[in-house]
Amino acid sequence: MPAAVDLERLYDAHAQALFAFLLNLTRHEADTRDLLQGIFVKLAREPALLEGVREERAFLLRLAHNAAIDLVRRRSTREKNYEQLAAEAVPVFAPSSDLDQQSFRQALSDALRELPPDQRAVIHLKLWEGLTFEAIADTLGLSPNTAASRYRYGLDKLRQRLRPLYDEIK
Amino acid sequence: MNTDDFEKDLQRQPLRSVPAEWRQPILEAARASAPRHSASTVAQPLAWWRELLWPCPQAWAGLAAVWLVILFVNGAAPDSGKIESAAQHRTRSSTQEIVVALEQRRWRAELLASLFDPPPVEEAPRPRSERPLTSVMV
Repeated sequence: MPAAVDLERLYDAHAQALFAFLLNLTRHEADTRDLLQGIFVKLAREPALLEGVREERAFLLRLAHNAAIDLVRRRSTREKNYEQLAAEAVPVFAPSSDLDQQSFRQALSDALRELPPDQRAVIHLKLWEGLTFEAIADTLGLSPNTAASRYRYGLDKLRQRLRPLYDEIK
Repeated sequence: MNTDDFEKDLQRQPLRSVPAEWRQPILEAARASAPRHSASTVAQPLAWWRELLWPCPQAWAGLAAVWLVILFVNGAAPDSGKIESAAQHRTRSSTQEIVVALEQRRWRAELLASLFDPPPVEEAPRPRSERPLTSVMV
């Protein structure tokens, strides 16, 4: 019988990364909490899930991505006015006391929200999780080439969108 | 703007922290949904079976399914004893039928023979002459 999962250790090691990833994908704090709780409930119910897993973080990010994609699909079919909710600014980055930094983070958060979820997921995993394209591909169920091309497209869009503000700040 | 600088600047932006007040309720919800490891009379045999079947549950399930199919097929088909007795019964009854048919044919033949070909009247034995044979010849 598989041993019980050490939930506290898993939470302390990975909850921050999962939270940021889920928040970036859902742009909804309550949904992010529900999904995060759902992941830990799933791990508690099925301890065997983690057996033989070499990269816990990548595995958990994959669970998070699947859960977020399911939620986004349910949203689009169930609630038409959800787009309006999503359009409300949910900060993805930590607040800054520096006004320039704060405005750049806000602009970056908005620009990320405008990216398609597929590109947003790749950008997030590459920039803020530091995963290689192979690891991203494994996590999201893509080929490494697809992951790399989505990253390039997404990054180009961010650059175009943020160029004026970025140049001004720098 | 330099691509590398831009990427590095994006990487440097700190993401929001997970709210500290989420930890306790999330972990409690997860613990509440975890399967209980009680040593109750029901849980113990279940755990034993799970332990036994764990290495390859699909294989065991497949084996069990095959046995079920075999038992079902065996139960659905007439058993060999029945087949044997039915065959014996059939053989016995067919032998009897042959005997009866032969008997009937024989009766029919006798009947027909008696109708169209009356049996030769048996000559009654001549009464013996009182005279001796020599006297007749003379």
